[in-house]
Amino acid sequence: MTTSVLERPRDAVLSTHPELDSSAMDDDKLTEPEQDHSEIEVELDAIDSEDIRRGATRSSLPPAELRRLFEEQAIPFMDQLYAAAMRMTRNPADAGDLVQESYAKAYAAFAQFQQGTNLKAWLYRILTNTFINGYRKNQRNPYQNTIDDLEDWQLGSAESLTQGRSTRSAEAEAIDHLPDSDVKEALQSIPEDFRLAVYLADVEGFAYQEIADIMKTPVGTVMSRLHRGRRLLRGLLADYARERGFAAAEPASPRSTT
Amino acid sequence: MTDCGCDKAKAELEEYLHRELSDEDYRDVAEHLENCADCTGEELVGITMTIKMQKACQEKAPDELRSAILAQLTEV
Repeated sequence: MTTSVLERPRDAVLSTHPELDSSAMDDDKLTEPEQDHSEIEVELDAIDSEDIRRGATRSSLPPAELRRLFEEQAIPFMDQLYAAAMRMTRNPADAGDLVQESYAKAYAAFAQFQQGTNLKAWLYRILTNTFINGYRKNQRNPYQNTIDDLEDWQLGSAESLTQGRSTRSAEAEAIDHLPDSDVKEALQSIPEDFRLAVYLADVEGFAYQEIADIMKTPVGTVMSRLHRGRRLLRGLLADYARERGFAAAEPASPRSTT
Repeated sequence: MTDCGCDKAKAELEEYLHRELSDEDYRDVAEHLENCADCTGEELVGITMTIKMQKACQEKAPDELRSAILAQLTEV
């Protein structure tokens, strides 16, 4: 590839020529022509802003070597990304499409990925952006916009005031006995932004700051979504345990209406 | 003795479980948990939820998806 400005440090170039930001895709053939152009820019912008912050430059590796690196480093995350996509889209067909599209974007932008930085977080950022900008538009529920504004009492409280210590260990044991399908169903039924925060923190083990970068929200919002999501989840799991006749706690919480 | 009491421990339990506390706060909460069965119960519920989610979400990408993605790379 013959590049001129692209081989200069991107932060320097982009600070004076922000319009060059979309150039990231220029020399990659993976771009699907039918894709909405503005959407690609939005997503690449999200990818690039992180790289710019790190002062990333384009890799000068030959394409064959980049491809080998991509196969070696990025492809092994496929199962994890698919599991995350399943939680996002809630069905295998959309999850597969989402993962495939995300890998296409990641591959197209891989030359900008700064080796030695957190590839997993980078891939999750692409996956999440792709989901939010594409898939979620189609299934967006007006409820999602206001979910962060709900008061705690509207979400219900999982921790009953009368719950004693013995019932807590019983609660933990009951949760432990639930089948995976119940846990997944509970996760699926909490609001999407909460679900994502919980998933990224608990299943993927990302730090709050990493989640904030992935979801593009302040850390405080991440904390609030995580706390509320886990509280909702706890209430649902207690309900499932009771329905299965596990000796959990006494009726813990009014199940939130979703 | 730096036991922080139930109020602080409960308020910071999520951050404790997610390793987001400063060393000092972490020690305070950990010390409280050693001495408080009630808060330890809360901790147990929190840990159990996390472990259950990790186990439940171990999906594998279908083979067709894997092949399709790998084929995509060769198209370039």
